Amino acid sequence: MQSGNLSESGTAVVPDFSHKLGGVMGNGSVLQTRGGKKDFGDIAFTWLVRVVAMLVLLTLLGIILALVWASLPTIKALGFSFLYTKEWNPPMDHYGAVIPIYGTLVTSVIALVIAVPVSFGIALFLTELAPVWIRRSLGTAIELLAAIPSIVYGMWGLLVFAPVFAKYGQPAIAATLGKVPVIGSLFSGPAMGIGLLTAGIILAIMIIPFIAAVMRDVFEITPPMLKESAYGLGCTTWEVIWGVVLPYSKVGAVGGVMLGLGRALGETMAVTFVIGNTNFLSSPSLFMPGNSITSAVANEFAEASPGLHTAALMELSLVLFVITLIVLMISKWFLARMSKMEK
Amino acid sequence: MSEFTSHIEFKNFNFFYGKYHALKDINLAIPHRKVTAFIGPSGCGKSTLLRTINRMYDLYPDQRAEGKLTLGGTNILESDIDVSMLRAKVGMVFQKPTPFPMSIYDNIAFGVRLHERLTKADMDDRVEWALRRAALWDEVKDKLGKSGMSLSGGQQQRLCIARGVAVKPEVLLLDEPTSALDPISTMRIEELVDELQKEFTIVIVTHNMQQAARISDFTAYMYLGELIEFGNTDQIFVKPSKKQTEDYITGRFG
Amino acid sequence: MKLRTRRKLTNGVALFLSMAAMAFGLFWLAWILFTVLSQGLGGISINTFTQLTPPPGEMNGGLRNALAGSALLVVISTLIGTPIGILVGIYLAEYGRNSWMANLTRYVNDLLLSAPSIVIGLFVWIALIYTHVAGYSGWAGIIALSLIMIPVVVRTTENMLMLVPGSLREAAYALGASRRVVIMQVLLRAAKSGVVTGILLAIARIAGETAPLLFTALSNQFWNSDLTKPIANLPVTINNFAMSPFVEWQKIAWAGVLIMTVSVLVLNIVARIFFKQEKIG
Repeated sequence: MQSGNLSESGTAVVPDFSHKLGGVMGNGSVLQTRGGKKDFGDIAFTWLVRVVAMLVLLTLLGIILALVWASLPTIKALGFSFLYTKEWNPPMDHYGAVIPIYGTLVTSVIALVIAVPVSFGIALFLTELAPVWIRRSLGTAIELLAAIPSIVYGMWGLLVFAPVFAKYGQPAIAATLGKVPVIGSLFSGPAMGIGLLTAGIILAIMIIPFIAAVMRDVFEITPPMLKESAYGLGCTTWEVIWGVVLPYSKVGAVGGVMLGLGRALGETMAVTFVIGNTNFLSSPSLFMPGNSITSAVANEFAEASPGLHTAALMELSLVLFVITLIVLMISKWFLARMSKMEK
Repeated sequence: MSEFTSHIEFKNFNFFYGKYHALKDINLAIPHRKVTAFIGPSGCGKSTLLRTINRMYDLYPDQRAEGKLTLGGTNILESDIDVSMLRAKVGMVFQKPTPFPMSIYDNIAFGVRLHERLTKADMDDRVEWALRRAALWDEVKDKLGKSGMSLSGGQQQRLCIARGVAVKPEVLLLDEPTSALDPISTMRIEELVDELQKEFTIVIVTHNMQQAARISDFTAYMYLGELIEFGNTDQIFVKPSKKQTEDYITGRFG
Repeated sequence: MKLRTRRKLTNGVALFLSMAAMAFGLFWLAWILFTVLSQGLGGISINTFTQLTPPPGEMNGGLRNALAGSALLVVISTLIGTPIGILVGIYLAEYGRNSWMANLTRYVNDLLLSAPSIVIGLFVWIALIYTHVAGYSGWAGIIALSLIMIPVVVRTTENMLMLVPGSLREAAYALGASRRVVIMQVLLRAAKSGVVTGILLAIARIAGETAPLLFTALSNQFWNSDLTKPIANLPVTINNFAMSPFVEWQKIAWAGVLIMTVSVLVLNIVARIFFKQEKIG
């Protein structure tokens, strides 16, 4: 132990280092690790989390490679004609993806047409209108719609909703929208209950909670100051929503819509139960039964013989996966732009 | 004029946040088993300086220190220093209480278990010892199994002091330990610091000048990353040798 | 004056429509839940839990094997999916942070979170069954369900770890704790309620998954606990029986729907209550 000396002069800042301190502890070497030995437990853990994190990347890569590999027979045999051929006839080994792709896109579009305005209304209600004490419960109730397993939607759709829809819904739609020129032909034909429109409606119910949740979140991050200034000008609630909140948050809202679309495209069980599962499509009417990519795969998979039929189903799934990934990427792009605005 | 044994020494010490030169050429000796206060306006680098003593900056890849910083003669900036062991010797208490999400007992035992293997009885003794040191024992002895988060703010902060003390460090770093507390809790912590300096070298960062004057033996005044003046607290507060120090101190006292 | 009236009217109509939208959403929830309850209660009986699923030609039976099989699949998937998901979450929040590798992993995880579950099922089918590495089996189903579960756990774990205040991290390091001790004993514990909530929600999600099991676990009309063989499970049994022309079989399916829906909704609600309570404490 040695002593330093503090004088009253300015040199006080600089202690006297001329005589090296022996160290208060006397055994400073305790601090040194033997030859810089590292904590092996920590190194192992670091590698563990890194390797496990790689699994996530490998899963995506694996899905793409597996689907491409399993579709090779049809890719080789049919090339691009798979994507623009209408005929799907397993006994003849003719495979064209047009009808399932059409069914997937049409049902998803119907779902969006219904779900977007409804979700907007719900988000508006939950952020601006509902009394605070009830917001949480109502929000949870809507989220529960997303929790109900899709097979429940399917069974309910087929056994409960479809008969009611055939008896009351479809005649009413045919009598109103069916009479409108141009789009009238979309709502004509026999009311069977099942079909593209029914699938679209059920998809809409299923994706409402996803879109509404995102919209609610992005509405909530609109700075209160902006809203207050608009209210201060004498704007009505609606004018504040339409003129301030929506323009501010539209980027995020679009992200939410795309997320809902991604969900709708890939939904399987609910659609399979109610879409009708037919590969013939002769009328533009949405009342007609059809097929979607997911319902074609779910229905035909068990009976598909190895070879072209199985490969065709795999190629359908590959098409679905690629479309879904693109939609989800667009969704993420919009949501990322939104969160940048937040900062 | 005062004699002291130095415990921690900075020599030509520089610190960087990325490209930003945060601490410039610091030379400073911190006395053994005394209370040393770092004061200065916000952003002057006093917290940064404190956090180099237990190499907290290691957590952040873009921060780095240059020069020499010795603890009892060993340069702790060397790369072969066992940081875990360094931190066992240098305890730290933060601005806001940071009780871990576990029982009061486990909060204290957590640090001890990292460095020592104790029997249950020895651990019980150690926990009691640490809590007594932090003047918290009487308040919590009947509820050691309760969550540390259930305590009041002032009690939480004393729990954190006890947690640091339990490891039996040589140095205690206090980073504005009372800035989130009410006046009565603050007073208790100050009394505690006075008590603890018998066994530990204490370095405290504070923005409260009266606090520095009340509890510290030595004071370092910092400004814009530089150490302006260091000396006996009485001397710094009564007749600082630098105009800058005087301006700061008198300005604050108004 | 006229303008003001029109603005007020627009506002009134818009707010009415917003309320109508809310009612529209709740209407479907109520209708579906009502159906599930009324049909399910009509179908459920003691047989549901004591009898095996009926073989073809037999009308009466229960869901004993399907319930047990589903429980087995979900439990083992959770045991596999949870630690993996938590480790990836730890990587993203504590190790990778903003490195390009972590950003890529985070991005891909978000894609997998919303990827169609049917594709996950097909992936497992191609990787195991198409290649003849394994047959249709409980294990194939478990792998598919785990893959669906992992992204959910990853996301919540990362989010919850990011919410842990930096000062708690520093306080643990300041005692000389190593990184894994800080993470496993302090940070994870601080984030516990959120992580558990995420796990519960993930379990709720896989408990109702049907599509991936169609290509992996198939079904089994017998009692089976051998995971290397096809195994009975609730979703696929519901799927098969719901489509059947026999009213008795549909009844069994409705009973299954009731059990499944109630478990999933209870899990969801428990998860929310748990999260709310823990945050305060």
